[in-house]
Amino acid sequence: MADAAAPKRVTRRNILGWGMAIILTSLTVTGIAPILVYLWPAPPKGQKKGPLTIALDTPLDQISEGQVVKFNAPSSPNSAFIMADGGGDNAPGDLAFGGFVVKTQGKTDVLAINCSHLGCSVALNASANTFDCPCHGSRFHLDGTVLHGPAQYPLSHLTWQQGQDSKTIEVDGLILGF
Amino acid sequence: MAIPHPREIQLAVVQWLDERYPFTKTVDEAMYQRVPNFANAFYYCFGGMVFVLIVLQLLTGILLAIYYVPDARGNPAPAYTSVNFIQNDVYLGWLIRGVHFWGANILIIMVLLHMARVYWTGSYRAPRELNWIVGILMLLLILVLALSGYLLPWDTKAYFATEVTIKIAGSAPPAALGAFIKTVLQGGPVVGPPTLQIFFTAHVFLLPALIVLLMYVHFRFIRAHGIAEPL
Repeated sequence: MADAAAPKRVTRRNILGWGMAIILTSLTVTGIAPILVYLWPAPPKGQKKGPLTIALDTPLDQISEGQVVKFNAPSSPNSAFIMADGGGDNAPGDLAFGGFVVKTQGKTDVLAINCSHLGCSVALNASANTFDCPCHGSRFHLDGTVLHGPAQYPLSHLTWQQGQDSKTIEVDGLILGF
Repeated sequence: MAIPHPREIQLAVVQWLDERYPFTKTVDEAMYQRVPNFANAFYYCFGGMVFVLIVLQLLTGILLAIYYVPDARGNPAPAYTSVNFIQNDVYLGWLIRGVHFWGANILIIMVLLHMARVYWTGSYRAPRELNWIVGILMLLLILVLALSGYLLPWDTKAYFATEVTIKIAGSAPPAALGAFIKTVLQGGPVVGPPTLQIFFTAHVFLLPALIVLLMYVHFRFIRAHGIAEPL
């Protein structure tokens, strides 16, 4: 009881104890911090953002209304496209390994292949003129909007421009570096 | 010179060792423990079976690591072709890999049975709660081992299963934390060669070391507490 009633005093032992605790803590932190930075993935050598040149099966000017041309990301060097927008499982900046050039109502769009539900690759259903997802049955109109769930968001767009001639397009992407 | 009886040589060796460390005493204490009658029921063996299975996993894992190449670059990647090689070309490779594969599946079943027994007989009660907690940690470690091992063959099933599990881990709220977890687990923006490297490191170095350490703690606790009497 006498101890509890005694006023709290700053003693030399107290100060030394706290000092040691601070020194030990800072030593531990300075030891662990570089390890955490080490664990954060370093981009592999050769990883580079930039437009990827894609040769299309059908030249741009010959794509007719309602026609779909599928293309894949180049595999040498290993590359992926970068989505411009997206909802659900897709988000701007996410990667896609394939896409579609679609002409609807006179407008040409380039869509990423990833379903907005959980990311499976959608495929063209030529008889119904829709993109169908094989995983959970989501369906999309050719302009990428949802026809049937479980997907709730439209397909993502890719940022693109025509290449040197109408046979190629340049799509924003990433050379993965592995 | 008289030829010594083998037993005399044995005694001499044991005596030489015992003079330097009490080996006989230590081994006696570790080996010769009376098992209470109630612990003779077959369901008290589940924990021991888990132990045997883990030892089997360590042994077959070491044998697999002799031929496995944790490299996912290129197509087909060495990771995939080396598993193919183990399965089809290495002498008894199919058996070693089969035991490792089925052992992992049976291990999870046995762990759950062991857990059910401990729960059923109330063996988690005071003062044994810490051992239950250590057991839960080992259950989680075994599940992570199974998950990380699943990616190593680097076939389509492995790749997309890992894609899904990383996506689940990456959905942890808040979004920034989920994205952080996803990037660290993948080792980059997509599931690729860095992911295999990380999973391989966890599966082969980190997790086995942790589980062996926790098994030691688990067994020391059992020895300290004795086998719990049933309810």
